[in-house]
Amino acid sequence: MQSVLTPKPPRSSKSGRTARAQGPATGTPKAAGSARRREIWAAYGFISPWIVGFVVFTAGPMLASLVLSFTDYDAIGSTHNVGFANYQQLFEDPQVAKSLMNTLIFAVLRVPLAMAFALVLAMLLLKVGRTAGLFRTVFYLPVMTPPVAVGILFLLLFNGNVGLINHVLGFFGIEGPSWTTDSFWVKPGLVLTSLWSVGSTVVIYFAALRSVPKDLYEAAELDGAGRWTSFRHVTLPQISGTLFFTLIVNTIASLQTFTEAYTAFFGTATTQSYSSDAALFYVVYLFQQAFQYMHMGYASALAWLLFLVILVITIIQAKVSKRFVYYEGDQR
Amino acid sequence: MAAPPQRIRRKAAGLVAAFALLPALSGCGGVSMADSGNSTFTTMGFMQSDALASDRMDAARKALAPDGLRIQVNEGAFDSQQFLSAVAAGDAPDAVVMDRTLVGGYAARGALMPLTDCLKRERIDTGGYVRTAIDEGSLDGTVYALPDSYDSRLLLTNDKVLKDNGTSAAEFTTGNWKKLEAATRTLQKRSGGKLTRIGFDPKIPEFFPMWAKANGADLISADGRTAELNDPKAVQALTYAVKLVDAQGGWGKLKALRDSFDMFGAKNEFVREQLGSFPMEDWYVNVLAGASPKIDLAPDVFRGRDGKPLNWSSGLGWAIPKNAKHPEAACEFIKTMTSTKTWVHAARAKAKETRASGSPYTGDVTGNLAADRIIEHEVWKPTGNKAFDKATRIVFDLSRKGFAVPSNPAGSEFKEAWQSAVNRVLSGEQTPQQALDQAQRKAQSALDLANEGRE
Amino acid sequence: MTQLTMRPDTKEGTAKRALRVVGVLLASVVFLYPFVWLISASLKPSTDVFDNALIPHVVQWSNYQELWNALPLFTWIGNSVLVTLAAAVTVTVSSAIVAFGFAYFRFPGRDALFALVIGTMMLPAAVTMVPQYMVWNWLHLASSQVPLWAPNLFGSAFYIFLLRQFFLGLPRELFEAARVDGAGYWTLFWRIAAPLCRPALIVTFIFEVQASWTDLVRPLIYLRDPQLYTVPRGLKAVLDQFGDGGEMRWEIVCAASVVVTVPMIIAFFVCQRHFTQGIATTGSKG
Repeated sequence: MQSVLTPKPPRSSKSGRTARAQGPATGTPKAAGSARRREIWAAYGFISPWIVGFVVFTAGPMLASLVLSFTDYDAIGSTHNVGFANYQQLFEDPQVAKSLMNTLIFAVLRVPLAMAFALVLAMLLLKVGRTAGLFRTVFYLPVMTPPVAVGILFLLLFNGNVGLINHVLGFFGIEGPSWTTDSFWVKPGLVLTSLWSVGSTVVIYFAALRSVPKDLYEAAELDGAGRWTSFRHVTLPQISGTLFFTLIVNTIASLQTFTEAYTAFFGTATTQSYSSDAALFYVVYLFQQAFQYMHMGYASALAWLLFLVILVITIIQAKVSKRFVYYEGDQR
Repeated sequence: MAAPPQRIRRKAAGLVAAFALLPALSGCGGVSMADSGNSTFTTMGFMQSDALASDRMDAARKALAPDGLRIQVNEGAFDSQQFLSAVAAGDAPDAVVMDRTLVGGYAARGALMPLTDCLKRERIDTGGYVRTAIDEGSLDGTVYALPDSYDSRLLLTNDKVLKDNGTSAAEFTTGNWKKLEAATRTLQKRSGGKLTRIGFDPKIPEFFPMWAKANGADLISADGRTAELNDPKAVQALTYAVKLVDAQGGWGKLKALRDSFDMFGAKNEFVREQLGSFPMEDWYVNVLAGASPKIDLAPDVFRGRDGKPLNWSSGLGWAIPKNAKHPEAACEFIKTMTSTKTWVHAARAKAKETRASGSPYTGDVTGNLAADRIIEHEVWKPTGNKAFDKATRIVFDLSRKGFAVPSNPAGSEFKEAWQSAVNRVLSGEQTPQQALDQAQRKAQSALDLANEGRE
Repeated sequence: MTQLTMRPDTKEGTAKRALRVVGVLLASVVFLYPFVWLISASLKPSTDVFDNALIPHVVQWSNYQELWNALPLFTWIGNSVLVTLAAAVTVTVSSAIVAFGFAYFRFPGRDALFALVIGTMMLPAAVTMVPQYMVWNWLHLASSQVPLWAPNLFGSAFYIFLLRQFFLGLPRELFEAARVDGAGYWTLFWRIAAPLCRPALIVTFIFEVQASWTDLVRPLIYLRDPQLYTVPRGLKAVLDQFGDGGEMRWEIVCAASVVVTVPMIIAFFVCQRHFTQGIATTGSKG
């Protein structure tokens, strides 16, 4: 978190804040004052697109949705104030608890697996020498595949009866489960599918690993550190910032997982008629309530709950990892 | 506010201009929307999959041409998300065709217009359509949709599979649950850990209302106000249907095998003997006749536990969304699509096309009573293929006496409630009782909410 | 898999090296095989889709023909190209402008505002899904392609953050010299900062191309007329029509998936250097 909030000053260090603070150095104090005013206006001019966007597409709508979460707004009929009914329903609706649970299970399975898998791949890449670029490309390709196509591939490859995955497992004498229909295996199946798209994390780790100073390893070796020790005490601390970044990003993404599950199990009445709640992720449910049933008021309440959940999880992660993340020259 | 420096203003103006051009760049959206303003009549949910559909659409095109309207058929099955957000966005199609069980729900929310004026103006007599189909498309006595199809459900059995297993279709009935379960166990086939033949497919979740009815349970009261999803008889029916699935290795295996069927092709589950028997919609007779006319098909009626034939009928209905741009033309359109003349003409076209391709024409049931009579007696002719002729006969007979799930103001949410309940049981998350209790609560609160909004 | 240390390997045995190459190759197979499977399945007759044969027994090119005839694929691809370009161009230009504003100037409230930018970066998109729909509905644009790219006119927090990092890296003296020569702020940005940060701008552009090309959520919400569909939305429609519960024509679904994926793969090979550099940057800068 810290590296995000206070980015490192630019490499030409002295020019940063101090240079800015001086402003234009020419002219009388009065002229300087008007130049300063002009500069400020110019600055607001530059950032104005973002300010407008923030008001129109983020802050405004979020306020509106807070208001709407106390109504039964459906964009078609008349709207009534319903007080806290929507929030009360959050606790009574079993599908809220179910979808929240599904989402948490998915995230808890996916995030560590994806990070570990990506780290292993990145370390392998580091060791293969000049061909690393080629393999990095290969690992990254699935990221380019539209998630809709990934959802379709999941349906096809993980089909319990005739799919490739169980076919391969069959070679090893393993009878694969019904990944796409058995409520227990749907989420693991989707997690495995999501590991296919782990490429961007691999690339990030690869870059981070390469930037670990070599002399640190040499020093560790001189101290008689073994492989594990030097991994534990050199590599991990050195890339801890990156690990933390990917932890946050992957967690937020996992908590919002939508497209693959929606593609495979939801949509038109026929597609939907087979979906049990096993793949009902939170955002899928939110989407259904908002755009399939047009329960915009209730959907707004659902959105606020999601916001709180993600906020709390992110804060916890930030607090916990503060103890583990190591920053170069960190004086805090 | 002081003005920004001259230079910035000029550049900013250029930037604004550049951004203003972008909409034009990607603006096919905007442009084509403007185009479809007044002379285009759009439909949603309709698929021109065969001559029966496309011939009728041609008739409708002709009917609307004098009004200067061009029909744009947005192909693809009805998608409730697309429909409601279109209505909300004031971009509703002019006519929409959807599962009739959904009509009540959308009507209650004001997403559909009552057809009352339309029926009066165009002098349409709802008595000319099958009663249950009109009821399904109505809410509290007001008609919102006219039938676009009428599906019956019958029992389709692969007699070869049964004979190979020392029995025959003549002895096979869904009326005796004990025997049916035993037959299901005998007829299935497994190899290794895999299911390679489904003995009997109960077709749940889709056909759950029929299983409930077979056990004497309706899912909702006749007035469409009180859900009865956890009626002990419904729970018992679900328990039984799921038992049939579990007897064949469980839902995962059954569904996976079902998914791999070449349902519409020449190597379908009957040809490959991947299925013993299942209840199915009547249109599938048509498919089988085209894809594999030589199979040893043994058609029969589906029976309730009382041994009497039971037909869960359903189908699509045409309705006019709120904010449709051409409501009067939509009325004319719906009248044309569902009229006796159009149906008969289309059925003749389809019969001709089917026969030309060398397949037996197995008849059509439309929900328009006069058209159905003419099709049965004049358009359809015995084909000489005994199995398929018998199937057609059964379908014609069944179509006169179907039951439907009573129309209700919760529509898609009611359907979703029982569907996902069945799915939760199939996937082992809940027991039938738990699942249907939960569904009951969900459905009833949706019904109450919908009724509250209307009163 | 067994190698866990980062020591530069000079004295390591060839056996170990071979083991690692095998590991990487195995992983590559896992990553590539789904593509091969998909392409192969898209050329098979309906009944062979699940036979898991690498080479189709019968190669049926007509699947693609049928796909082309059944669906307005060209229209969808055209829509996707336009939407994607509009989204990428707008977000690159607007984010660069805003990022420069935050990087170069010193003004009251700057740090607070930038913290807000970072805050929105952390804001889950799902949270603003419903309210944003209401904005577009209110503007009577909720049934058009405009919501797919127009928010990008106002910059995107992630790219603003990324580009600001690059602008901060430019030596201040360059700008001061230009100021002395009488250059305006716009010139500083347009003539000096932007050209020097071209690689970063390209990264922004292709990131957004990828994000926009593959997005399903917004097309689901805003596009109803099939003539307006982008490719992923079209692919979902293909699946609904030909897949599970539909006609069970999985070979058509596979062919459509290939058509949707290939443009991205090509784009990736053309600018893969930028992709990997860009991603590595997000990791280390973040």
